[in-house]
Amino acid sequence: MSTPKKSNNHYLSGKEIRAIAKENAKVIKRLEAYKKRKAEESEFLTEMKDNRNILEIEDLHTYFFTEQGTVKAVNGVSYDVPKNAVVGVVGESGCGKSVTSMSVMRLIQGPAGQIVDGSIRFKAYDYVRNEKGEPVPKEGGKPGEYQMEEKIYDIAKMPINEIHRIRGKQVAMIFQEPMTSLNPVFTIGEQLDEVTLIHVPGATKELAKEKSCEMLRLVGIIPENVYDRFPHELSGGMRQRVMIAMALAAEPRLIIADEPTTALDVTIQAQILDLLQDIKTKIDGSILLITHDLGVIAEMADYVVVMYAGKVIEKGTVYEIFQNPLHPYTVGLQKSKPTMTLDDSTELYNIPGNVPNPVDMPEHCYFKERCAKCTAKCSGAYPGMVQVSPTHFVACHLYDGENENG
Amino acid sequence: MAEEKIMNNPCQYDDEAEQAKYLEKRKAQMEEDFAKPFDPEAVLEVRHLRKTFPLKKNMMGKVLKELVAVDDISFKLMPGETLGIVGESGCGKTTAGRAILKLHQPTGGQIIFDGQDITNYNSKQMRPIRQQMQIIFQDPYSSLPPRSTVGGILSEPVEVHKIVPKEQVKDYVLELMEKCGLRDYYYERYPHEFSGGQRQRICIARALSVNPKLVICDEPVSALDVSIQAQIINLLKDLQKQMNLAYVFISHDLSVVKFISDKIGVMYLGSMMEFGTKEDIFSNPLHPYTKALFSAVPNPDPTAKMDRIKLEGDIPSPANPPKGCRFHTRCPYAQEICKHVPPEYKQYGEGHFAACHLLDQE
Repeated sequence: MSTPKKSNNHYLSGKEIRAIAKENAKVIKRLEAYKKRKAEESEFLTEMKDNRNILEIEDLHTYFFTEQGTVKAVNGVSYDVPKNAVVGVVGESGCGKSVTSMSVMRLIQGPAGQIVDGSIRFKAYDYVRNEKGEPVPKEGGKPGEYQMEEKIYDIAKMPINEIHRIRGKQVAMIFQEPMTSLNPVFTIGEQLDEVTLIHVPGATKELAKEKSCEMLRLVGIIPENVYDRFPHELSGGMRQRVMIAMALAAEPRLIIADEPTTALDVTIQAQILDLLQDIKTKIDGSILLITHDLGVIAEMADYVVVMYAGKVIEKGTVYEIFQNPLHPYTVGLQKSKPTMTLDDSTELYNIPGNVPNPVDMPEHCYFKERCAKCTAKCSGAYPGMVQVSPTHFVACHLYDGENENG
Repeated sequence: MAEEKIMNNPCQYDDEAEQAKYLEKRKAQMEEDFAKPFDPEAVLEVRHLRKTFPLKKNMMGKVLKELVAVDDISFKLMPGETLGIVGESGCGKTTAGRAILKLHQPTGGQIIFDGQDITNYNSKQMRPIRQQMQIIFQDPYSSLPPRSTVGGILSEPVEVHKIVPKEQVKDYVLELMEKCGLRDYYYERYPHEFSGGQRQRICIARALSVNPKLVICDEPVSALDVSIQAQIINLLKDLQKQMNLAYVFISHDLSVVKFISDKIGVMYLGSMMEFGTKEDIFSNPLHPYTKALFSAVPNPDPTAKMDRIKLEGDIPSPANPPKGCRFHTRCPYAQEICKHVPPEYKQYGEGHFAACHLLDQE
């Protein structure tokens, strides 16, 4: 039995809490003002680093300012989502994978949660706008048709009242709990129509219904069966299909699926995953898939991002991550998952310990205390990203030297 | 095949007559089984367990419609063995576990625990037996009392059941905590100070504090992260070896069940579809549902391409289960007979049971 750790480490006196709250209030006020400012479009237009990408997240910091201290939920995360690809983000609960996606949607719960730094560049296909910010109609087109152009927005810099340009329209989200994500007092039809009515200027009810039915058919539901039903009348799998239909209704370029199958049974999960694969090719878009299930990632994703305690620790193609995992955490995560083919006479590998407290993260590598391969170097600064192959990156001191040599 | 179907008279089967025939056969089987002597070695023997919940009653209190949550499941469990029960949500696996503990009074069947038929024991008679059978719940966040310390939570059952003299309780609890991987200074702490994995360790320690013979684990790891999950599974396995425990391990995660179990039962809509040793079930699955369930598990190897048996549709409501074989609405191999005649639960090889018409035809 090891010696007891100083147990009152995380307990703060009233005075300390008040000091933190005062400091937080200042920061939050500044960030909220920035969020609610009025801005010209040119202020949040930017350029992509790589034109093949549809989404580029660079050095994103999303913090939660709590009375116990600042929780750095997302602490310098960078990854890209290429066009027509499925990017899987994997990590344990509390690693910041959902907060990253919420930051992309600008759905972080304020005022405590704020995007502090970094940029989220998104390639949108939006209306050409005049000086007043209104869409310009297409010459000789039908009513409801507008001139379109490709624009690159920096979502992190967008004022919150401009976010409707992309949220729900260009980027759509499928949530984990189909039970709680649908409104229980409206029918499925009403909720689906709303998407079209909001995002297509000049849309009529008939047009909206037509679109909704088309989307329901796309996800494998006969529209007549569910259009006038309420969410509670549907099973979990059906509800998740409706959620997917809703996400598709505005023809998004990027779908963020946040644990889309976690609440479902395996047989239904297989159906939904098939559907997502199918949808991806049909809408010609990209999927950002967030899950803790390595099996789902292996089956769905083209690229994998492994996160731990608010940082990306490894990223690469799915083959690189699963066949040549480098970071000890990625290796441990894969070994500790019992699989159908595993020899079960031996003990299951496990990563000892827990994720460190998010309020006071250490200076050194966050995984050091749980790592079996840790060296003297690990007590130093947080390891930087090391490039192992054109697509494979890892943040671990074990691979620093290799890179210098090669 | 299709022509054959058309040529056959579609009303070849009389649903009600078939159902009656099936029930009669089952009744005879039950009477035969109930008369058998108890196995003295088994720690738990379940014979034709049935649990129904009333859905609709008339004004006299007579049940008009009922939901059959668990329908006719039977198995035997030896000391030191683990029985895994798998199935989708709503298949009755949790109800089965609770009925075995008599947290729900079973509607029919026999539960023989340690050579005693406890099916109709009242709560007073159950008291000494409760000590022998314990449960670990799924959600470690809601199954620990927030107002007592870890020491309090773990000492209470020890004091109530008088496991050790009063003055030794603390030492006993500390020893138990060490066994379960909890540090001694946690004794004074409250549950909210712990993470999910640590809480589950406390739940395990609480269940084991009274030296049980049987522990029902109701999805003990499904609320935990993968790395913590592995720690808990290893802990459960270690403790089983040390204390010669028998587990009933209820889970929807097939890979976890495979890792921990010796025998596996696959449930669907309240009935046991297939039962056998782990080797039988995984290397030679007989029932189409078992096969489909296994093939639906995502494989964490991107190079492996699997031939997936796809199941269409959702699991039907247990309040209106389909006639005939319960699985026929989703079964890719369903035939005319499956829609009308309930299949018999029969033995196919040593200790390997299944209920499917297709197996008889081969």
